Amino acid sequence: MNLSDLTLRSFHDGLRGKKFSALEAVQEHFKAIRAKDPGIHAYLTLLEEDATGIAGQVDESLAKGDQLAPLAGAPLAIKDNFLIKGHQATAGSKILEGYTASYDAHVIEKLKSERAVFLGKTNLDEFAMGTSTENSAFGPTKNPHDLERVPGGSSGGSAAAVAGNLALAALGTDTGGSGRQPAALCGVVGFKPTYGAVSRSGIIALGSSLDQVGILAKTTEDVAMLFRAIAGHDPMDATSVAVRYDKDLIEPDIKSMRGLTIGVPKEYFIDGIAPDVREGMDTAMRQLKDLGFKFKEISLPHTKYAISVYYVILPAEASATLARFDGIRYAGRPELPNNFTAPRGAGFGPEPTRRIILGTFVLSAGYYDAYYKKAQEVRTLVKDDFVQAFKEVDVIFAPTAPSSAFKIGEKSDDPLKLYLEDAFTIPVNLAGIPAVSIPVRGRTGLPVGFQLIGRHFREADILGIGRIYEEAQK
Amino acid sequence: MPDSPITKETLEYLAKLASIELHPEMEARLLKDLQNILAYVSELQAVDTSGVQPMNGGTELLNVFREDAASANTNRGHGKEQFPATEKGFLKIPPVFK
Repeated sequence: MNLSDLTLRSFHDGLRGKKFSALEAVQEHFKAIRAKDPGIHAYLTLLEEDATGIAGQVDESLAKGDQLAPLAGAPLAIKDNFLIKGHQATAGSKILEGYTASYDAHVIEKLKSERAVFLGKTNLDEFAMGTSTENSAFGPTKNPHDLERVPGGSSGGSAAAVAGNLALAALGTDTGGSGRQPAALCGVVGFKPTYGAVSRSGIIALGSSLDQVGILAKTTEDVAMLFRAIAGHDPMDATSVAVRYDKDLIEPDIKSMRGLTIGVPKEYFIDGIAPDVREGMDTAMRQLKDLGFKFKEISLPHTKYAISVYYVILPAEASATLARFDGIRYAGRPELPNNFTAPRGAGFGPEPTRRIILGTFVLSAGYYDAYYKKAQEVRTLVKDDFVQAFKEVDVIFAPTAPSSAFKIGEKSDDPLKLYLEDAFTIPVNLAGIPAVSIPVRGRTGLPVGFQLIGRHFREADILGIGRIYEEAQK
Repeated sequence: MPDSPITKETLEYLAKLASIELHPEMEARLLKDLQNILAYVSELQAVDTSGVQPMNGGTELLNVFREDAASANTNRGHGKEQFPATEKGFLKIPPVFK
């Protein structure tokens, strides 16, 4: 069994065609994890007992001739800010060390109903705050393409697990690019659905008006399979929407797809882009043009304010969502401290501390209007830019990250430098629209990803173009 | 940065409001970082937003209602098994009065 060639789709076909069993696939993955993960550190916990149990059940069903769900037996990795009942969920923080989830996240329930297999929980920047996975309280994850480099973040463990063939696909989260940016740096596909498409119930919140589930996989077809399984309304997340996705999500209508116009926002092709990213964008655009797609230059004039908007709104929301972690609730050893500020001081690392204090500041009397309300207003302008652009074009093309994977420690001394990593992904979260990062094919060197950004609930457009692109470059 | 809205005193006050104990060796670095970040985001002040409605959430503003009825699907009691010590169904914590 060659894990690097295996996708969710070919796994499902191989399983049904009895080329291998689900148990073999799981065991093969754990073998790879034992061999390679000590160097990569993608996983925080392994769930080997549960995984082999479910795989065994799937094999039994198959032997009986039962119909299998598309994700039955599929070996997945789950970011450690999702709750899986009975297992730890640290969110990469010391403050949650010893916490065991008492229920399943909605998306976990959905995947369990298809009998997907969870290999383990993956590493992340503490509370998903970061762009390099260096902020994890449990040590950094390394990029499988070069172990001296970061995998991106905050879903760095999930991206590294997929890139290192330590899982077929993975769930992450994407609040400002945390799913797409690590995918770009690790050379895998990273996807953020429309805000409201997937329930966040049971996922440890960071910024509630921005958080969405992220999907990391080897192909856009695999992304569509996973997305179909987890999308939908959930009464436990009031922001989730009952949208029915048509079959063009899984089987794109190639002919009508080719008529779509792709916009290129000039604000995304600025001087700050690294040469290899620029060259990668040229390559991808040429490849897409060769496939018959029309390109059109557009303008998203408020792009340059997106980082500032985000680093006011996100800390404000994070300071509220993280207030529940007081060292008593969700703690491994709850006790009443003599000094209530001590457990939070010791439990949170530098980045959450920075953002909680910043959030407390921008929400405080006297500064609320100048920072928080102002940022919300500029957020409207960022969103309106997209609304305008989508009157002219169907999909928007942009780089995912301004650079390829950087060295561990290279930017960690300056939080602002790390914040700039998300310059091209943040606007999408502010506007609540879907986007996918796809590795540029046919080039050497460190991976580079391009983004396709779509209209609200038009995931089928961006995943469909991605599929045409991937099949042409095979 | 003498004209930054965050000074050592405001930082200490904010830490108190946020219930975070700051380690003295971290405080100077944190102050510098926060001043830099605030200087960066203050570019927003220059944006003309007259007549622009603030975007309060990630979605269209709709009220979400549910039936006012009891639901069997609650998570009641599920947190208990992860508590470090229990006795006869009660949760045990260290003594409050010594």
